[in-house]
Amino acid sequence: MAGLTFRNVYKQYGRTKVQQIFDADKSVTLDRDRRDVDATVRRVASSTAAPYAVDNFSLECPNGTFVGILGPSGCGKTTSLRMVAGLEEITRGDILIGDRVVNNLHPKDRDIGLAFEDYALYPPLNVFDNIAFNLRAKKMPEDEVRRRVLELAPLMKVEDLLDAKPAGLSGGQKQRVNIARALVRQPSVLLLDEPLSHLDGKMRQILRTEIKRIHNRIKCTTVLVTHDQLEAMSLSDRIAIMKDGRLQQFGTPLEVYDNPVNVFVAGFIGEPPMNLARVGIVDDGRDRFFLFPAKGIRIRVPGKYAASVFAGDEVILGVRPTDVLINPDDPKAAAVPIAVFENLGDEKRISIEVGPEEYLTLVTEDEKRYRPGDEIKLVFRETKTHIFDKITGDRILGKE
Amino acid sequence: MAQITLEKISKSFGSVKALDAVDLEVKDKEFFVLFGPAGAGKTTILKTIAGVEFPDSGLVRIGDRIVNLIDPALRNVSMVFENYALYPHMKVYDNIASPMRSPLHRKSEAEIAREVARVSDLMGISQLMERLPSQLSNGQRQRTALGRCLVRRPNVFLMDEPLAHLDAKLRHLMRTELKAMQTAFDTTTIYVTHDYSEALSLGDRIAILNRGKFEQIGTGDEVYYAPVNEFVARLVGEPEINIVDAELQDVAGECRVGIRAGASIVHYPLPDDIGGKLHASGVGRRIRMGIRGVNIAYKFEKAEGYLPGSVYNLEPIGNKSILTIKTDENLFQTIASNDLSVELDTPVWMYPDPKNMLLFDAADGRFLGRHHQAQLTGRA
Repeated sequence: MAGLTFRNVYKQYGRTKVQQIFDADKSVTLDRDRRDVDATVRRVASSTAAPYAVDNFSLECPNGTFVGILGPSGCGKTTSLRMVAGLEEITRGDILIGDRVVNNLHPKDRDIGLAFEDYALYPPLNVFDNIAFNLRAKKMPEDEVRRRVLELAPLMKVEDLLDAKPAGLSGGQKQRVNIARALVRQPSVLLLDEPLSHLDGKMRQILRTEIKRIHNRIKCTTVLVTHDQLEAMSLSDRIAIMKDGRLQQFGTPLEVYDNPVNVFVAGFIGEPPMNLARVGIVDDGRDRFFLFPAKGIRIRVPGKYAASVFAGDEVILGVRPTDVLINPDDPKAAAVPIAVFENLGDEKRISIEVGPEEYLTLVTEDEKRYRPGDEIKLVFRETKTHIFDKITGDRILGKE
Repeated sequence: MAQITLEKISKSFGSVKALDAVDLEVKDKEFFVLFGPAGAGKTTILKTIAGVEFPDSGLVRIGDRIVNLIDPALRNVSMVFENYALYPHMKVYDNIASPMRSPLHRKSEAEIAREVARVSDLMGISQLMERLPSQLSNGQRQRTALGRCLVRRPNVFLMDEPLAHLDAKLRHLMRTELKAMQTAFDTTTIYVTHDYSEALSLGDRIAILNRGKFEQIGTGDEVYYAPVNEFVARLVGEPEINIVDAELQDVAGECRVGIRAGASIVHYPLPDDIGGKLHASGVGRRIRMGIRGVNIAYKFEKAEGYLPGSVYNLEPIGNKSILTIKTDENLFQTIASNDLSVELDTPVWMYPDPKNMLLFDAADGRFLGRHHQAQLTGRA
């Protein structure tokens, strides 16, 4: 077992001029001054090359951790995983397993277990032989093969299926066998590429729990690639969020949820999504307010931003539906009419229209029922009210 | 403007019974949701009403007219497709006008202009008439597609999972949009979905369909607070309701639910209204106890009336965490705060609140009752 490290990894599809220039120009060192290199790369890249699929990606996954790489399609997450596995060449940078650089190692020598979303089991072989396949290919003695398969089978809950053929298995069972096949080699690193996305909701939840428990038991360094934020949140010790080939944030589920570094992360994590709206800042002489321009709704700016934003500024406001609160007793709360009230059983959702096709949504477990048009008084939970730069999208910090 | 009645509709595809003698009455101007898992028969009902699928037996009425033999084009129903299927090369105006330019329903251009203006006002898209669909936001596309359906003043509006193909974020916004426009339809609407939150949010009433038969037809409150059986209970809510074996017992004249925990049984006295009713139906029998995750409390120390277990899994999902507790016999999914941090397999004690227990018959899964049933379902 070992940790996994990405060190300034780039991936560009197709051999390009940029590559050749880099190869020729040894004075450019990647690790020392990223900024200069970036500028050079960009200057050359803009005229000749496709953008980077993975763009200066650095990440450290300590031994035994479960790391989720999360992002929309095309963000470079699967490419990153495939570079670890050796299925893609690394354009620039290093990938380390333990303290060994694996860039030029053959995939089979990297000591990796791999499970893709489509299970790719060998149809003529039964479950036992499928799990044993790679061990036998390595000429492991048969009694050792048997010992390993039989030891892992109950953990993966496939012990009753060992004689079955893949065709007779459900999707969830196939994926268990698939993961067992990856784990039986006792790899340094386990790579999971969207392992749950073919499964229906119920099975997905069950297998999620099983994967977490197995990880807790054997503590194999695991990297999960997914576009499903719920999956990443529920499984990972830490989540790396990617967009356009670049790492946006790396943190625990609670960190990325509570303290998103930019608008992209804020909007990507959480369901229902965070309310994000472009607002103005106005001042009535005593207090500062967020102003939703289309409807003239004003909500007080938390004190922690007193030195961050001023009247006349425009920012992107971010507040989660659970942090918009109804408070009839606060004299400074904004009185607003309800546009939509939804009773979803466990919770109620209330939406306020703040612009065309733009709503401020709040979620409450309060049993009270409302009708459209009813007026409520709103405040934001101040510690959980975020603001972002309207141009860069970066979070603007207040004084805590 | 019409009510819709299905009488004993059956339909088979080969040996598969898609619909099995279903009866249904949708009231005039009602927003009615057909809800169920894939393959339940939801879309077949929709197609039967539209007239693109013929029932093997049974009657379809729109208003008081039997329409079994009426051509789909003459039924005056309007179907909204997944993806909304706007004509990409036509401006919004022409997209909305298109039904009135079909050979069958051709109207004069003056009348078309009047109707398009009416509908686009209703949908709040009057300022977009000159745009192409590619120049519209998702919400504007939805409004245009709905406008195109409303322009014919249909008797019935049929919607087949219009939001199913959207990603989670957009679906949330579009559902809010749809709900905001709902009152503007003013038309009998039948909406098919497999998403319980859409069903609860949008439906005046919800019909839950399973293998070609209705399990329950009722309001959102009825299916949530008083599901007629375990099947319905499991369909509504996320995470899924916990349903476990239990026993009805008499302790000093009081009706209690006994739940096994290893060697012992923990007892939960039922509130009088439901306890009295079940007591009369006989104690000592086996039942099934259903409890939603939000109605389970937990502690990391032993407490009276709490079931002993251990932490089986803890999944942070944003604003909360799902804590799965394993007792000797069962797994329970409960809701915990998102900053809870605990090692797997730590001992934990849990309390299913008897006021929120849903009780089912052990033999057939039929709903036996709950506390405050009449108040919660609005049938007091």
